[in-house]
Amino acid sequence: MLQVPAPIAAWFGGFGRGTRVTLEHAGSLGRLFWQICRVTAQLRVSLRDVLNQFYIMGIQSLPIVLVTGSLAGIVTSQQGGYQMTSVVPRYVLGSLVVETVVLEMGPVLTAIVLVGRVGARITAELGTMVVSEQIDAYHSVGRDPVALLAAPRVIAGVIVMPLLVGISNLIGILAGMLAAYYDSGLGYESFYYGARLFWHSWDLFYSFSKAVAFGLAIPLISVHMGLLTRGGAEGVGRTTTNAVMFMTLTILILDALFPPLMLQ
Amino acid sequence: MIHYRNIHKAFDLPVLAGVELLVETGEMFAIFGPSGTGKSVLLKTTIGLITPDRGDVEIDGVSVFFGGKRALEAVRRNVGYVFQNAALFDSLNVFDNVAMGIPEDELSRMSRRDVVRRVGDALDLVNLEPREVMEKIPSELSGGMKKRVGIARAIVGRPKILLWDEPTTGLDPINTAAVERLIMGLSRELEVTSLVVTHDVEGGLEMCDRVSMLDGGVLRFCGTPAEFRTSPDHVVRAFVDRAAAEAALDMVTESND
Repeated sequence: MLQVPAPIAAWFGGFGRGTRVTLEHAGSLGRLFWQICRVTAQLRVSLRDVLNQFYIMGIQSLPIVLVTGSLAGIVTSQQGGYQMTSVVPRYVLGSLVVETVVLEMGPVLTAIVLVGRVGARITAELGTMVVSEQIDAYHSVGRDPVALLAAPRVIAGVIVMPLLVGISNLIGILAGMLAAYYDSGLGYESFYYGARLFWHSWDLFYSFSKAVAFGLAIPLISVHMGLLTRGGAEGVGRTTTNAVMFMTLTILILDALFPPLMLQ
Repeated sequence: MIHYRNIHKAFDLPVLAGVELLVETGEMFAIFGPSGTGKSVLLKTTIGLITPDRGDVEIDGVSVFFGGKRALEAVRRNVGYVFQNAALFDSLNVFDNVAMGIPEDELSRMSRRDVVRRVGDALDLVNLEPREVMEKIPSELSGGMKKRVGIARAIVGRPKILLWDEPTTGLDPINTAAVERLIMGLSRELEVTSLVVTHDVEGGLEMCDRVSMLDGGVLRFCGTPAEFRTSPDHVVRAFVDRAAAEAALDMVTESND
């Protein structure tokens, strides 16, 4: 009988376990998403809870989004200016900054910030509720935690994220324009001219599409991971770490999927 | 009547291995047993918080696991569950926590004044002054008060069955005695079936009409408190002796403190 070498058997074992865990997560995420759609369609989600989450995710995240957005614009402008040679007209810097901020930096950086600020918080919060039996308590009194806890967070995420990305894009472009003026000596009108020259309205739609996808993914994954928490405080810590990794990876994979889907 | 039919449950290891138990309507029933023998798991199967690998629970003839969603909703409506650490909702104040125990459809038909009155009545029953505690959030309450609010949430929906998961765990002897009196008083006053999972053997024997003991995932004993005290089963006797020794040690520790 053919003997499979131990390292190969271990590799296949690990691959099988990894595949099983991935499929379990995918199935459970799909079911959670379906439940959220159902309770939303049945109007079982409290507007007050959505507004509360809107405040936590949106208003409270605004300062850090403004900082990252403006830094993204400044850095893009500085690096673009540095790489420009005399062969390329300087007004192209306007296009470079606007396109980079709108297509990439605005949505992705805002999403990464929200993974840390909002996603980790949601996972830790729901994880603590699981280990302290609060989720069981909701079930025991006949309340649906999906309607009360999961749906408001996901709805707020889908609404808040495009708004934050819009603000981040705007502040990033303005900061990039200022940096181009002071760093590369590019006047505002030239910057604006360059920006308009290569601008497509579709780019804005692309940016907001990414924002909606990220705004759905972050709360959905964080709620899913939070509800999976087992094993006390240590379990909450472990699940939160895994959730942050999971969300970051998902954002980057989605980001890589967007260009072939929408920029062809 | 609660009927546990051949309940099996394993996590990494088997926890419950074919538990068969009948709790009659209106009685106070205690489940004892060492830690990790599946007492709380069994209690959680009663309202479908944990699904057994095999077996079923019937409440007044309605299957919890095979009766469908509506049957489960009806079961939960008629059962109040008191959690080990109260499990109050951190983000809600005492009023909202207790009001959450009123069934959703009933709550939607009630006026705000009726809800306040109903919550106030429940808090009165657990010896809390409604006006003093209603606006407080759980982190502002002592352990004993949290427990009482948890009990108020369980009874405010006027259940027919009350499930108590370690109701005196973590309480000092004075609060333990007070909560035990509360359990007895409420069970009689509200005329409910009470099922108590507890480590406090003496308290359980005093309170309950019948008691049982889980050991190694199986039902080791089921009978009256008097039969439990005089059981010839060496496992039961060892458990009773150890519980008595622990209770004596607790008393010495408390008096030294």
